[in-house]
Amino acid sequence: MRHKAFITALLCLVPLRGADVPFSRLAKASEDARNWLTYWGDYHATRFRDLKQINAGNVKNLRLEWMFQTDAPGAFETVPLVVDGVMYFTAPDSSVYAIDARFGRKLWRYQYHVPKDAKPCCGTINRGLAILGDRLFMLTPDARLLALDVRNGEVIWNVEVAPSHGGSFGGTEAPLVVKDKVVVGVAAGDYGIRGFLDAYDAATGKRAWRFWTIPGPGEPGHETWGGDSWEHGGGATWMTGTYDPELNTVYWGVGNPSPDMVGSVRPGDNLFSDSVIALDADTGKLKWHYQFTPHDMFDWDATEVPMLLDLPWKGEKRKVVVQANRNAFFYVLDRVTGEFLMAEPFAKQTWTTGMDSKGRPAMIPNLDPTPAGTVVCPQCAGATNWMAPSYSPITGLFYLNVREGCDRYFSQTPIYKEGTSYWATFFRGEPVEGGQGRVSALDPLTGKTKWSFPLHAAPWAGTLATSGGLVFAGDEDGYLMALQAETGKLLWKVNTGSRLVTSPITFELDGKQYVTMPSGAAVLTFALPEE
Amino acid sequence: MKIATLGTVLLLCGFTAKAQPDTKLNGEEIFLSNCAICHGMDGTGGRGPNLLGSLRHGDQDSDIANVIQNGVPGSSMSAFGLEDDVLAALVKHIQTLRRGAPAPAVHGGDAIAGEALYRTHGCAGCHRIGGQGSTFGPDLTRIGAQRSYEYLKTSILNPSADVPPEYETVVVETRDGKRFRGVRVNEDSFSVQLRLPDESFVSLDKAAAAKVIYEKSSFMPAYRLEGRDLENLLACLSSLGGGAAQGEAARQPKPR
Repeated sequence: MRHKAFITALLCLVPLRGADVPFSRLAKASEDARNWLTYWGDYHATRFRDLKQINAGNVKNLRLEWMFQTDAPGAFETVPLVVDGVMYFTAPDSSVYAIDARFGRKLWRYQYHVPKDAKPCCGTINRGLAILGDRLFMLTPDARLLALDVRNGEVIWNVEVAPSHGGSFGGTEAPLVVKDKVVVGVAAGDYGIRGFLDAYDAATGKRAWRFWTIPGPGEPGHETWGGDSWEHGGGATWMTGTYDPELNTVYWGVGNPSPDMVGSVRPGDNLFSDSVIALDADTGKLKWHYQFTPHDMFDWDATEVPMLLDLPWKGEKRKVVVQANRNAFFYVLDRVTGEFLMAEPFAKQTWTTGMDSKGRPAMIPNLDPTPAGTVVCPQCAGATNWMAPSYSPITGLFYLNVREGCDRYFSQTPIYKEGTSYWATFFRGEPVEGGQGRVSALDPLTGKTKWSFPLHAAPWAGTLATSGGLVFAGDEDGYLMALQAETGKLLWKVNTGSRLVTSPITFELDGKQYVTMPSGAAVLTFALPEE
Repeated sequence: MKIATLGTVLLLCGFTAKAQPDTKLNGEEIFLSNCAICHGMDGTGGRGPNLLGSLRHGDQDSDIANVIQNGVPGSSMSAFGLEDDVLAALVKHIQTLRRGAPAPAVHGGDAIAGEALYRTHGCAGCHRIGGQGSTFGPDLTRIGAQRSYEYLKTSILNPSADVPPEYETVVVETRDGKRFRGVRVNEDSFSVQLRLPDESFVSLDKAAAAKVIYEKSSFMPAYRLEGRDLENLLACLSSLGGGAAQGEAARQPKPR
């Protein structure tokens, strides 16, 4: 009894020292189940955690442990980092918080102020931070990259990634730390930008390399743009990519070509829009690419996460990259060579009759958006989007939130004007037969759906898988839920009171497992009751 | 003198530069790029409201500019913060679209006689005007300002032609044999909330229900009104809430 009291006292005295996260720790983040060290949880982005204190047998008892209110208005799309007892996250008012992960108490707050003359594209949405050593990295709404002191949020350096006052460049994603560099992309693909992916020296903020996602004259892929259309070709890089430390390769999804919904002004495949690019992490040089939707006219950014899996593919273990794409197909590619291995639809699609052996889709003719409107499935927002999928090595299943629907796409050729949106008019939802949303479990070896859990509305929240036999998922009506990973059976749910627009995480602290989900203006953290 | 001349030259240069028509500053293009996604290419609406009818936030240039620049809190209309010249060209285009919209047709009908029909047909059993009547169906207090004459006509003759999501008819049958038929006030993945004809709410667990039926039609029966009767009822409804005033009975709802 006395012994127990002593332990309790000791636990309370554990100092919340400033974090120190060397690259070697990031490279093994998937084995560090107690922390959540990167936006996707680890470099492979499986969003699987070997934590089973909360499991299929007891999840029904899960209850709110603490709630932290930020009072920040707007969509709370952040995914917190958890490092040795401290949770770091961004709020939609361009602030950064460090809070104690056990009690939900604030340690410090940093407020970034977007300059008045900045005109970024995309509001103040922010999806989170990256960490290296004793520094946090944040991309600001006006496309600047900040290094913050992990101890107090003080700015160490602040550099421009792209000018936001002219071209409307913006920043919404969490950066990706790779070795001694911070890799970061830009938003504003619908503003006629020429997109790129950058790497900055984490120590100084000096730019180390830049890869243009829309190749200029003389660069491979430039020939896929008719005339001078490449100059405003879009190709934003607005979601965080992944990294394979063994192959030293960065994988990044590229956004739509610009202008959207009109192809006549940009004849050709429009590389590297709607592609996954594999870059050498040290130099930013292209190793390979694969384009999911050549000459896209439906806004199907390929910015969904390129998840890295090692799968038994036709009898041999193969390093693959998988992506559930907005265009309604689930793809498997060899991540060493970029070889196309498989594509299977996971939602209704009406745009292709299928892929050839190289993975090039055969387009169904006469689908171009017109002034009168053309109905195509999936919808503009895609059959899935940036919300996180997850993969459990135990079940061998890939879990994702699916958005079912079709849009009528209208077109009218727009004129480019710097700093204004550059896309061809609009789209309108078509009535949906059956449910608009679901959580689905796919077999990545076949692309077939093993089970689905229906959702009332098309979701914007992601999933998380654990060794407790659980998949956590969120829905558009504010429910955080736990489903049985093998069957999709609902085991637990809670109405968080606000639509969910990010993805849950889990971590462990002092032997106790927690599940965290931002909702509304609050961060909610759940745990099992003490016995 | 020299200074004055220089000033004049500068002013003229500045003026000349401004007066040059900027071929890229075309209000229609700005509209198509920024607004059409919600309001339709011709301004008749889509995900966003029809801009050619009466405007909730005012129809003067300054009213429209204010909504564009500052957005509408609590709605999908975000603040655009456009440059002055871009804004002016856009507002001008919207007003051009509004002027080009067909003039509202003049309809006959006697609103007072229409009001009598409203009573004899028991409309107040489901609807509400100026605080009088039932909360079950849509409140009609401002319906004349919110809906066109043609829309109202269709709503009477064929109410199922367009049913707002919060008025869809849903039936829930429970496992113990109860049956609830009402309009769907809210629904999520796990529950559905109905408003029943007696104005009460019922909230049901979908997993515990034996059956949830989406009727895909309006709760309101189709009324076979014709000729003068139809015109009179439409005259009454159109006059509500500052809509197109018809006949002597044009009026505002009674203050509560």
